[in-house]
Amino acid sequence: MTMAATAGRSAISPRAAVLSYLAVSGIVLLLMMLFGLTMRLAQAQWISVSPDFFYVVMTMHGAGMVGIAGLCSAAVMWHFVRRHVPVSTAVFLTNLVFFLIGAVLILGSGFIGGFGAAWTFLFPLPAHSMGLWSVNAAAAYLVGLIFIGVGFLLLHLDIARGILSVYGGLGAALGVKQAFGLTDKAGPPPAVTASTMALIANILGILVGAAVLIISLVNLYVPSFTFNALAAKNLIYYFGHTFINVTIYMAVIAVYEILPIYAHRAWKTNWAFYLAWVLSTVFVLTVYTHHLLMDFAMPTWTLVAGQIISWLSGLPVLLVTAFGTLTVVYRSGLRWNPAAALVFLGVAGWAIGVIPAIADGTIAVNSVMHNTQWVPGHFHTYLLLGMIAMVLGFMTYLTNPQPRYGFAWLGYWLYLGGGVVFVLAFLLAGSVSVPRRYAVHVAQWLPYDRMGSIGAAFAIVGVLILIVRFFVGMRAAASAQDPSG
Amino acid sequence: MIQDVVWSISIILMGALALVFIWVATGARAAIANYGPVIDSAYRLRVWLFGAALIVLIGTNYKTLGELPYINTLPPLPAAAVQPVQVVAQQWMWTITPNTFKVGQTAEFQVSSKDVNHGFGLYDPEFRIVAEVQAMPGYTNVLRYTFKEPGTYQVLCLEYCGVAHHAMQAQIKVTDH
Repeated sequence: MTMAATAGRSAISPRAAVLSYLAVSGIVLLLMMLFGLTMRLAQAQWISVSPDFFYVVMTMHGAGMVGIAGLCSAAVMWHFVRRHVPVSTAVFLTNLVFFLIGAVLILGSGFIGGFGAAWTFLFPLPAHSMGLWSVNAAAAYLVGLIFIGVGFLLLHLDIARGILSVYGGLGAALGVKQAFGLTDKAGPPPAVTASTMALIANILGILVGAAVLIISLVNLYVPSFTFNALAAKNLIYYFGHTFINVTIYMAVIAVYEILPIYAHRAWKTNWAFYLAWVLSTVFVLTVYTHHLLMDFAMPTWTLVAGQIISWLSGLPVLLVTAFGTLTVVYRSGLRWNPAAALVFLGVAGWAIGVIPAIADGTIAVNSVMHNTQWVPGHFHTYLLLGMIAMVLGFMTYLTNPQPRYGFAWLGYWLYLGGGVVFVLAFLLAGSVSVPRRYAVHVAQWLPYDRMGSIGAAFAIVGVLILIVRFFVGMRAAASAQDPSG
Repeated sequence: MIQDVVWSISIILMGALALVFIWVATGARAAIANYGPVIDSAYRLRVWLFGAALIVLIGTNYKTLGELPYINTLPPLPAAAVQPVQVVAQQWMWTITPNTFKVGQTAEFQVSSKDVNHGFGLYDPEFRIVAEVQAMPGYTNVLRYTFKEPGTYQVLCLEYCGVAHHAMQAQIKVTDH
């Protein structure tokens, strides 16, 4: 079933809209990577940065990366799902406008207002600046997040409308009957299944996030209005975990769609595939308590569940998506090009990053590694070398009508080599108890910081090359046919 | 230490998985024309992998969930065997009373916060984390720990709490018997 997107009232073509998303994503990604490098260089004591500026940069890096992860992975999802269901280009572009308004507010809150409460804005920290940022700066940050959230809510609701109009229900679009062997009919395409999972999780997560953002906003201006800090933490991690986790599930659509083109093999969608997505939907919505394992006031059963679900959630990733990727590529005759190599790397980074993530989701391990650099170690593995690799693969695939691969291969290897060094430095540092989110490091931690800085620098050069190549190819691609035909 | 075990196991498994991806990637060019048998073999292998993963999952969770740090899951100790310790966090200092102990002494840190979220991270004399718990306004989290070696232990904040987060440190002295 193939369906053109409804152009709505937008004068911009769907393809140009997707390219706009990716162009904004590419620029912001590079900027945020430079923020990250700034932090690593400061920790390595190779540059001097005041702690208050460090924490502003840290807050901007976190919020910016989470936002951009959502934006670029949404572009992947929308590009492919619109082949199967009617969606609105106007709504898609509205999300981009909301994102840009939110981004301006957030950048202003940090670089003008000095807001530095970390992207997680743990209640009631935004209201406890100790004089370093104003109430208005904190409010600008929170309102910026609300703008971004509202944009994504509109986008997911529009996709939900399109999916419901074709499939009649979210269960059918997710492939629930196929998952449990209740029908012999072919299930929905992977892009529809993944988009359904993403919208279920993100609509719930964004609504929860909006609630805690409003609570925090009211608390800023009416300090007598207070809220339970543990409840707020639950709401924030429910929203934050869901949003960032879903970015991978949106980006992985690029793997399902692009790799089979180059490998000349179809991606088999059997009951195991749909069961994996049904289970992943449940896991994404219930696993967030693994962020609260050191909050001893939580009911113990919720923390035990957090550990068990963390372990279970690795199974669909490793045994369905990673295994499926390996099967599609195995002796397929595939001649590697940067687009295929990047989406393949994306699955590898995701699967490999699951291992240290599961370790951290184990209560006994979390007791000595929570909030150490082990945490950015594992999430950069599956985000930088996983989700971002999938998106870079998608960008390369879209803008390479006349393949000239040499330039892109250079970017690929710098990005991969630098990225591996960068994440290993975090993991090593975490294993020797280096805390995360510290502006100032003691002498014995410096080797890890310097190793990480070098890795980050190479990774940034690699990504810069891939994004420059994207912009060079974008003009031709804007008018070209989809490479998949 | 548990961190060393976790690092070793993780890096071995991550490396092994990376090697599988490299092996498949480097062998991709040699084509097998008939995809059907490849799929059949892969599905059989996946069943075995699923079984192995399930055994590891159940075994590890059974083992680790039997030793939780939460006070309501620990056996009660006679009052004389436990030293209660009041730990109050606030931007950006710790108040720890008492803060001197003997090797073998069991402390129950009653950790709370006056303002925002903090993290009570206990570092041993080799500067490695041996225990931690969150400090939250409105709650008292109880962390039990038995000191195993003499020296100066450091308490670091392990939850970002504002611009002097990194400077929020304290010391605990542990002496021989």
